[in-house]
Amino acid sequence: MNKQRSDSEEQSGEQQQQRASPARPSFGKKQLPSIPKNAVPITKPASPAATAQLANGTHASYGPFYLEYSLLAEFTLVIKQKLPGIYVQPSYKSALMWFGVIFIRHGLYQDGVFKFTVYIPDNYPDGECPRVVFDIPVFHPLVDPVSGELDVRRAFTKWRRNHNHIWQVLMYARTVFYKINTMEPLNPEAAVLYDKDVQLFKSKVIDSVKLCNSHLFDQPKMDDPYAISFSSWNPAIHDEAKERMFTHKRRPEDHHKGLQVSGLSWVKPGSTQPFSKDDNPPLS
Amino acid sequence: MMMASMVANGNRDGRQGEALVLKGVDPETCMIVFKNHWAQVVKILEKHDPLRSNTSSNMAALGVIGLSSGGPMRFGGPIPGDEASAVQNYVEHMLFLLMEEDAGQAGAMGPILEFVVMENVMERLFLWSLRRQFTDDMKLEQLKMYEMIVGQARQPLLHHKPVLRPLMMLLSSCSGTAGPEVEAELVSLLNQLCCVLAKDQSVLELFFHTSEDQGAANFLIFSLLIPFIHREGLVGQQARDALLLIMSLSAENQRVAQHIAENTYFCPVLATGLSGLYSSLPTKLEVPGEEWHCLHREDWLQMPTLVQFLNSLEFCNAVIQVAHPSIRDQLVSYIYNGFLVPVLAPALHKLTLEEVMTTTAYLDLFVRSVSEPILLQTFLSFILLHRHENVHILDTLVSRINTPFQLGTVSLALFQTLIGLYCEDVMLQLILRYLIPCNHMMLSQRRVVKERDFYSVSAAKILALTPSCCSPEHSPPPLRQLDSILWSKGTDNSPNTGTMETEESFLEEDGSGYSCVIGSEIYLDVNYLHYLYNARLGISSCTRACQVWSAPYDGEDPPPEEGRQAQTTTDPAPTNQLELEWDDSYDAGPVVPPEAATAESSRPPQPPAAEPPKHIQEMRRTAIMLVKGSYIEESDFQDDVMVYDLVAKKDARDTVDRRRPSRETLPESDMDSEFNLEEDHFKVSSLQEKDEVPLSNGLSLPPHPTNMEVNSSEVTKGSKEVKAHVADHNSNLQSPLATEVGDDLMDQYEELIRTLGSDEAGTGGSSHVKTVDKEFRNPVVTPMEEDEVDFSSFSVDTPELEKQHSSLFGTKLRSGSTRSHSVPFTGPFVSVLLSRLENMLDNSLHVNLLLTGILAQLAAYPQPLLQSFLLNTNMVFQPSVRSLYQVLASLKNQIEQQASTKKDFPELITSAQHCLLARESSLKGQDHKTSNNSPPPQPKTISLARTEVFATVLFTEFLKELAAIAQEHSILSHVPMEE
Repeated sequence: MNKQRSDSEEQSGEQQQQRASPARPSFGKKQLPSIPKNAVPITKPASPAATAQLANGTHASYGPFYLEYSLLAEFTLVIKQKLPGIYVQPSYKSALMWFGVIFIRHGLYQDGVFKFTVYIPDNYPDGECPRVVFDIPVFHPLVDPVSGELDVRRAFTKWRRNHNHIWQVLMYARTVFYKINTMEPLNPEAAVLYDKDVQLFKSKVIDSVKLCNSHLFDQPKMDDPYAISFSSWNPAIHDEAKERMFTHKRRPEDHHKGLQVSGLSWVKPGSTQPFSKDDNPPLS
Repeated sequence: MMMASMVANGNRDGRQGEALVLKGVDPETCMIVFKNHWAQVVKILEKHDPLRSNTSSNMAALGVIGLSSGGPMRFGGPIPGDEASAVQNYVEHMLFLLMEEDAGQAGAMGPILEFVVMENVMERLFLWSLRRQFTDDMKLEQLKMYEMIVGQARQPLLHHKPVLRPLMMLLSSCSGTAGPEVEAELVSLLNQLCCVLAKDQSVLELFFHTSEDQGAANFLIFSLLIPFIHREGLVGQQARDALLLIMSLSAENQRVAQHIAENTYFCPVLATGLSGLYSSLPTKLEVPGEEWHCLHREDWLQMPTLVQFLNSLEFCNAVIQVAHPSIRDQLVSYIYNGFLVPVLAPALHKLTLEEVMTTTAYLDLFVRSVSEPILLQTFLSFILLHRHENVHILDTLVSRINTPFQLGTVSLALFQTLIGLYCEDVMLQLILRYLIPCNHMMLSQRRVVKERDFYSVSAAKILALTPSCCSPEHSPPPLRQLDSILWSKGTDNSPNTGTMETEESFLEEDGSGYSCVIGSEIYLDVNYLHYLYNARLGISSCTRACQVWSAPYDGEDPPPEEGRQAQTTTDPAPTNQLELEWDDSYDAGPVVPPEAATAESSRPPQPPAAEPPKHIQEMRRTAIMLVKGSYIEESDFQDDVMVYDLVAKKDARDTVDRRRPSRETLPESDMDSEFNLEEDHFKVSSLQEKDEVPLSNGLSLPPHPTNMEVNSSEVTKGSKEVKAHVADHNSNLQSPLATEVGDDLMDQYEELIRTLGSDEAGTGGSSHVKTVDKEFRNPVVTPMEEDEVDFSSFSVDTPELEKQHSSLFGTKLRSGSTRSHSVPFTGPFVSVLLSRLENMLDNSLHVNLLLTGILAQLAAYPQPLLQSFLLNTNMVFQPSVRSLYQVLASLKNQIEQQASTKKDFPELITSAQHCLLARESSLKGQDHKTSNNSPPPQPKTISLARTEVFATVLFTEFLKELAAIAQEHSILSHVPMEE
């Protein structure tokens, strides 16, 4: 015990640094391995490919972090794009699986609310393009009538890193409902009907939309805390949430003020000279 | 005497007893008692009054005269003791009656107060005390009397001149010569009066008028407080508190503000007082140990003089916070011109290392102690802009980072403080101004500045530098094994096939709304999550702080061109070359800021010195002494330059001695080669000595058509011709502006490298260019080697190249700096930091902690220019620019080399990890006083002297820290603001 203490005193450089001043960020602090308190191990089906594709194979242990942050980056891009009528949410269990819902606001599929899941290959971004599977197979030439999978690959024949992004896939998933393409369909029946008998196609679509919407309040297909689930309007729950949504926009700034972390600047905009602002007190 | 005792004892018991007695008594009875007492008093007073029928104004005048002559007995004989005590007895009772009296209806005076005012009771009592021996005891008595009635009366008394005026006379009689007890009481009363003022500003006018009656347009209570500003202990504190009350008054009251600013010495006293207090600080600190680098609370609390200084500084801070702008500006100006410039600046340039180190530690403490932006700005503009003997304080401070002594560590700590301020002006001067022109990168890379690293490529590249001996796969550090065990507890699956996954709930705590789910292998580096978390916190707060900045610094705003112009148009005075020496071994940046070099390039060339200046001779002598190990810092340290030079020598020596065989071409006489940076004279001599370098670089010099006959055997002769040649080319320069040349140069240079670099068939010209290119790309370039490059390039047939290099060279000669403006340079600060980082394996643990801490701090800044320079590993920089990544890569190589030659290295690494871990948990224990998991017992102790082992562990952790910052930047810097 004594021994340890004297050791720690010997190396109190960092400790002093931390106590130096409240203004000092704790940035210089190096962390040695320790156990995070909140880490809760959960088992998950093995994903053998997760680390196989890493560029730097020597440090496979960081692979998950790169993947995670790549997907986070993709997600922030989706948010930035503000795609109309599309909402996605990564699942709790894996960042490689995103839950989504798409609201069709006009056209043949008007009023359709289609839930879907995006599956991202675990060698992202070096693998195939992400897959989009609708919970209920929508009646559509490009949607597999059995699996509900949308033919995404036709639009992204080769997934190119830095060039292709997940928001483009989502954008594409939306576009197919507004511009119908019947070439090489996954649902030949729908393709033929659209080309030969639009009226019948339309009524089938209406039936399909009705069917989808009738299952809207079903339990999510996936048992995941972040799965998207719909419920009928319940003022006790939803009013408050709605309120918060509408007030949310003004929150960030207040939030910042409260923290009292503020930088300093006496640089006049457009200048690159320090203390160039006009309201600086004269020093001499 | 009795009154004093009454006040002292009776304040509580006596008075309350009296109050009880008085409670039932009706006001009329009180009035009668009061009048009776007064009649008795007057009898005695008049008996001893030499001028029976005097007016009050006469008395006032007499009182003043009495004061000025020290107030001994002037009238009549001595007053018998029984009469004096009788008066006191009466007065005692009268004052009780006065205090207990309620105000009349609608705020009118109560009858007793009215009587006091009409009969001028207070003034007559004051004169009575004057007439007796006006001793300190007497003053004390009177002061306490006023303190009591002012503090406890039920109706306002100070509104009435007959009360106020004798009070003022008393106050002024107490200033100056009184003893400590009286001073304490005086300040206490003044403080009380200020409290009254703060509550009731209508009294303020009266205070002014009363002063005028006295013949001085003096805000007396204020003036009386000034001498106590810097006093230590309770008296000083009370005085400062009282003054602060007046300061906040001044913010609203123009008259008070004007009076203080124009008619008092408040600001000068305050500022010069700082100087006085500073001069009593120890000039040399007793530092507890080698790792000490800044003054902590527990340090300065044990230094009374420093505590006192900080109190006064804190007071300045508070005054600036609350006072009227006119006072504020005046004070700031006095602090700048009365303390910082005349006192602190010379102190920063004292003669011994210890003194300079001490001053630097003080400066760091001061900057940390100041919170008010305007005062902080004063300190910062002193640091950033003030020149002491023609050198910016900042430049001096930056160069000191490189000293191997404690001064270097303390300087690092100061910069850590400065960078932690999130101040645009600081960052601009330290780094950003050098990055704005964007000529540290290839032209084509400008668009990359703002590019986002989607796939953590930079993080991966940084982490790939992890030394193999520290790789998690190869030798799991002790705790990682522990982690694995803990982690596998949650699952019964075979650890080989099952993948673990954790949900890091703490990532959600900052309210960003993201949940982070990480699927991972069993050997997931758990502490990396902490780095990510810290990176997120650091970047977020930095980003928020930088919202007040004037520009995003993204390579477009401020525009690269304007940045350059701005630099050339301002700050034109040249820096004194000889004062400054960054570590020139690598980056060899301009010793002057670029703009200074440019400005100077338009001047006629300096005539070369006939012989080395005296101080250079001196420096050489000292350097030799150091090399021989006989350097004694106290006696021989005369100039910063010496220290910097010594460091360069030391570094060079270390390098040769130990571990950088890659650097084959070290100057033979490194002493001389240093000097060539400053004087043409030396340049020539060093060229002479270095004649074989071109050969060792593998350069073959084709015969040149002009007057250059350069080969390995004739450099001696050629050196003179070099100068002539340079002159030729200077005169041929097309563009008069160095900046334009520089622009051109870079474009052409880039073009050249592109076109020629791919040409594998080595014709004479192109192979040479390739060599030049290689030379520039080599991160380890000594100044000498660079000079050789310039030198040899004259023989190249390519006209562009020739012109470029000659112009380069010409600028060098004229400006006397090692590099012209057009040569990419990321600034002395970055240069020095990277130099010290490059020596990481030799640095002590605490130096490395500071260094990596500062670099991590810098990396957390969101400005794309800074981010791309420090963290973007894909960025292509100009060949001569040294990047953080390059330094890290070279460190990795050094470490691998060590690991391969030392058998017990892995074992030592493990010990060092344990050691650091134990240290960290003991820190945590101190911080939180919680008993967390005690670290595993240390298998082996390891001496801190094994710097290379500790540095290796730290290096590995630093890589994680940087990678985590890079990763978080890729997310945080791109989240839309509404998020």
